[in-house]
Amino acid sequence: MAEIHPFNHRAMATHFEVRIADQEKTYAAQAAQASFDLLDKSESQLSRFRPNSDVSQLARLAPGERLRVGEPAFACLQIAKQMEAATRRAFCPTPAALQSQPTLPEWELFPAELSVLCVSGRLEFDLGAIGKGFALDRMAELLREWECPAFLLVSGGSSILTGDPPPEAQGWSCGLGDDDSPHRIYLSNASLSGSGLAVKGAHILDPRTGEPALRQARAWILADTAAESDALSTACMVLEEEELTEVLAQNNSWLAFLDTEEGPRAIGNRAVPVRA
Amino acid sequence: MVDKLNRREFLSATAVAGAAMLIDACKSDSSDQKAVVKKSSLNNINVALIGYGEEGKVLLEAFLNIEGVKLVALCDIWEYHRGEGERYLKKLGNEVRSYENYEDLLAKEKDLQAVLIATPDFWHAPMTNTCLKAGLHVYCEKMMSNTIDGARSMVKTMRDTGKLLQIGHQRRSNPRYLFTLNRLLHEAQFCGKLTAIQGQWNRAVKEDFGWPKKYEISQTMLAKYGYKDMHQFRNWRWFKGLGGGPLSDLGAHQIDIFNWWMGKTPKSVMASGGLDYYKNHDWYDNAMVIYEYPVEQAVARAFYQVQTTTSAGGGYYEQFMGDDGTIRMSEDPAICAIYREARATAVSWDDLTQKGYVKAKPLAADTAKVDVRETAALAEYEIPVFFNKPPHQPHLENFFNAIRGTAKLNCPADEAFTSEYVIHKANEAVAAEKKISISDEEVRA
Repeated sequence: MAEIHPFNHRAMATHFEVRIADQEKTYAAQAAQASFDLLDKSESQLSRFRPNSDVSQLARLAPGERLRVGEPAFACLQIAKQMEAATRRAFCPTPAALQSQPTLPEWELFPAELSVLCVSGRLEFDLGAIGKGFALDRMAELLREWECPAFLLVSGGSSILTGDPPPEAQGWSCGLGDDDSPHRIYLSNASLSGSGLAVKGAHILDPRTGEPALRQARAWILADTAAESDALSTACMVLEEEELTEVLAQNNSWLAFLDTEEGPRAIGNRAVPVRA
Repeated sequence: MVDKLNRREFLSATAVAGAAMLIDACKSDSSDQKAVVKKSSLNNINVALIGYGEEGKVLLEAFLNIEGVKLVALCDIWEYHRGEGERYLKKLGNEVRSYENYEDLLAKEKDLQAVLIATPDFWHAPMTNTCLKAGLHVYCEKMMSNTIDGARSMVKTMRDTGKLLQIGHQRRSNPRYLFTLNRLLHEAQFCGKLTAIQGQWNRAVKEDFGWPKKYEISQTMLAKYGYKDMHQFRNWRWFKGLGGGPLSDLGAHQIDIFNWWMGKTPKSVMASGGLDYYKNHDWYDNAMVIYEYPVEQAVARAFYQVQTTTSAGGGYYEQFMGDDGTIRMSEDPAICAIYREARATAVSWDDLTQKGYVKAKPLAADTAKVDVRETAALAEYEIPVFFNKPPHQPHLENFFNAIRGTAKLNCPADEAFTSEYVIHKANEAVAAEKKISISDEEVRA
């Protein structure tokens, strides 16, 4: 099999990895560096911990005020809004708002000028459950532009985005679960994200109640984009199985795996990938 | 027109006495800086952006927030960047005409009032001079030029043409910097007698910039625009004849703040640095510089370091230290800090808080409760100014307001030249391995 070049980077309070196959090493390193530069830029726009970020600026808006944001932040918020609707607010880009406000803040997007209107409340965006996936999607676009289509991108071990498979391989071998999980599938040009209680405990809040979400011990989502899989995997922690099934039925490119004693159980219309 | 303030921009300031005065002190174009010029009819300023690389993208993002200006043309020699810019602007409904060559742009765009230049340093002087002579106002990124002569020529052309030339030291229009300089350093004499300054910008090792193979520029075109090869084009900052290395790329911002806040230029510079890590660059990859500023029959020394091999040391900042206190400034508000010495009793924290010059960091939200534990840390104070804009926006606004005749430039080329000069002298001191004197005369253009 052709050599795969791995590159690492820290961003968004986690560890990112870019693996590039079927390319000369120096060129792969430069492409990976360009994708990490893009990642750092995304963090500076999306992080609520950066006082100058678009997200921090939005948090300072009063109701009725509007702010133009950069294209990446706007695009991420657009997807977040769509995912919020698709998941019946089980995924929410302002998940902790109920801890400090009586109701979730409301906001509107104006695509023509890339602006965000604060309708009510404080826009306490926390894009932690979608931003990393969004960044992976943008990094993948860049790698394709650099003609490095055979790649695997990893964000914090909880989201991966695959490009074309390495030469002569069926796909990138992806495990559902801990290191060297026996439950493995081959993926190419798809994203897989996991959420659960095992690593960080009950860290996911149900935005609808403000309480920690405890529906699933662990779940994975397969989707075409990492922003979708990232957001949906968080929603899996909040939705009851019946609701989750209805949510997944809206889109044939979505597939969930719920952790069971017999191994991951698939829900959704997307075909289950070949086992690795 | 004075910038309209966002309601929350000065949230903290409005909660204290003298709020109106504070807000005035924060504005990039404060009333005492305004030129007494009748408001012109320039309600819509047509602008071209020359250079759509890293810095050009930052400028465009800030520019797009500003009312009364329109980007009509974009220029970059690299098709990859040009295409990126065109697609992005089209998405925003702002279609532009795009050019490879800036002279073609000037020949064809007949309704321009201003240009923003964000190209490699060695192109700044020829482009700026040509644009000024074409009757345009120019906002040019720092460094002014890769040579002192180039920078001097820009000041001369600015004076000869009577057009405006703002240099992109954007901190000079930053409301937090303006507030802290005017209120804390000058009015409240927060630092007491200034005895030392320290600044730094340290960055971790990173791969040189590459390029997507399919967008490689032909050798003929690279040579036409002054580059040996594609690697040099993408990494011009580290090559002599194109840029000025890290002291000019990163240090320029902070050394400019040294001069601005001291209100004077240093009388000497000594420095050490070298090309000790990277093997394929021309310029030093690290430098440590000491400037000597004359103060009341004594000297305040300013130490500046720039490293491109380590991010250690707490980011990028400028720190002004005096016998009463210290102010640490940065474009990143999280790095800003203020400290007072125990001896500084003439003005109390309470007085400063009352005046709105500082703000106590929030303590417990519920005052009915108290927790008993080990001795608590002293109350902490911070600079009470936030602004909801990208860092470059106020400086661009100042430029456009100056074009309209409602403000004076915060960083005109002749003022920027003094910083430019002492930065070039620091590079010279590294090469000479000796202390170099700087006279008051030579530092003026």
